[in-house]
Amino acid sequence: MGEKDKPTEQDKIEADNLMEEVAEILELCIKCGRCKSLCPVFRVLREETVSPRGKVIILSDKILDKVIFECTLCKGCEQKCPLNVKVCDAILKAREAMVLRGKGLKSNEEMVGNVRKWGNVFGERNVKGDCFGDEFKGGG
Amino acid sequence: MKKDLMKVYEIDASRFKGSALDVVHPATIMEVRSVVARAKRIVLRGAGTGLAGGCVPLNGLDVVLDMSKINQIGNFNSERRTVEVEAGVILDDLQSYLAKKNLEFPVNLLNNNVCTIGGMIAMDIAGSRAVKYGKTSNWIKWVDVVDGYGNLHRKGVTELSDYAGMEGITGVIVKACLKLSPLKKRTASLIKVESLEEVVLIVRNLKRNPAVSMIDFLDKKISKGLELTKDYYLIVEYEDGSGLLKGKEYEDLMEMSDKVYSFVVNKGYTRIEDFRIMIDKFVKLMGWLEGVGIPTFGHIGIGILHPCFGRDDEKFIPEMMKLVKRLGGQISGEYGVGILKIKFVEEGDKRILINVKKRTDSLNKFNVGKMI
Repeated sequence: MGEKDKPTEQDKIEADNLMEEVAEILELCIKCGRCKSLCPVFRVLREETVSPRGKVIILSDKILDKVIFECTLCKGCEQKCPLNVKVCDAILKAREAMVLRGKGLKSNEEMVGNVRKWGNVFGERNVKGDCFGDEFKGGG
Repeated sequence: MKKDLMKVYEIDASRFKGSALDVVHPATIMEVRSVVARAKRIVLRGAGTGLAGGCVPLNGLDVVLDMSKINQIGNFNSERRTVEVEAGVILDDLQSYLAKKNLEFPVNLLNNNVCTIGGMIAMDIAGSRAVKYGKTSNWIKWVDVVDGYGNLHRKGVTELSDYAGMEGITGVIVKACLKLSPLKKRTASLIKVESLEEVVLIVRNLKRNPAVSMIDFLDKKISKGLELTKDYYLIVEYEDGSGLLKGKEYEDLMEMSDKVYSFVVNKGYTRIEDFRIMIDKFVKLMGWLEGVGIPTFGHIGIGILHPCFGRDDEKFIPEMMKLVKRLGGQISGEYGVGILKIKFVEEGDKRILINVKKRTDSLNKFNVGKMI
């Protein structure tokens, strides 16, 4: 996105295109609900809105809600889908569209900002440990 | 709940799309009672996997009561072999809990990893092992139900028929005491059969064997789709060592029978019916179904067949229902009437259902517009 929080015309067009792709991926879904069985988010929260089927219904109607960030992209739903609907691909694209429309999550923006500035998601100058290697260590 | 997100609760696995007034997720039985007492009309929702529109809210008037969060398992009694479960417990979760105690709930169905106990009781699910264990209601000691005023009642076996199989039109099932059975080590055989007449003979013989716990039928189209030869097949499960397939081979066969649903929906057969007939009418009905080219599978052991219709074939459904009724069968063996099959319910049956509804739900609050 060009300027922060203000999507350009180009961003909007790209977001619309992404949502078209999302609709195309999801049109196969027959809403049988089998995807729920392996969804770790649904298994904990037990609300249909966060289930893969719930997200499919919302996205098929081109509704962009922050609920689509409540997905671990583990592909458990795809494993159970009788029609091999690529739900996680659709969710990734929808997230991209949300960011392009300036509707991304604040916490995600903060994380991206921290990585750019400090080299870590926490926004700390001296993160101990070097599991990411020297090139990713905090700087500033 | 936000209007946009409510759309998620306005459908189930059928093709019906309704509209809801609101959606609530009670987490305790007390919360259910309070919601029920305040709402004017309520639609009950378990896993939302019904194929007849039973949990679809109508005309923006219904509050959807999603039971998924009421999911405690407790009061296990090893001597009496019973366990108390709340309505939102998923069958597979219950089975995992019971397996550690070397017990099981013997009703088994295709989507056991999503279906809830409340939904199973409301539909009185038969499932694949009904030939030995019968329907869900056979394995219930009592149910706790909330009436339209928000009062809680315990209903024993004698009153169970007012709730089991009533598709949620009579009250909210919030808790049940289930009877359990020892965990079995099962084996299976896949039997290739030359003709429909032979299917009937074999099924009749198998039903005399007390070790047989499941007899499922695959027609030629479905067998071919599952990469078997283009013949009729019977999948027979045994609770002793009589089956030829044991251990991993048994698991593989059960996995294959689970793939039937994937195969039919992948081929565009998205309307799956569930009539029930006596075994002596099987040849006649299958002859008709094969004549119009409808792939069929089902729990032949108890006479439930699942003909699978594509969009273009749905015109045959009314004729099939007529034939089922003429042969003395039931239009729905396990998926329920919901909205989808209301038009096929006989007047006499409707009168009985209306009487039960009046007696149990005098405020006409639950699942209005379903079943009757």
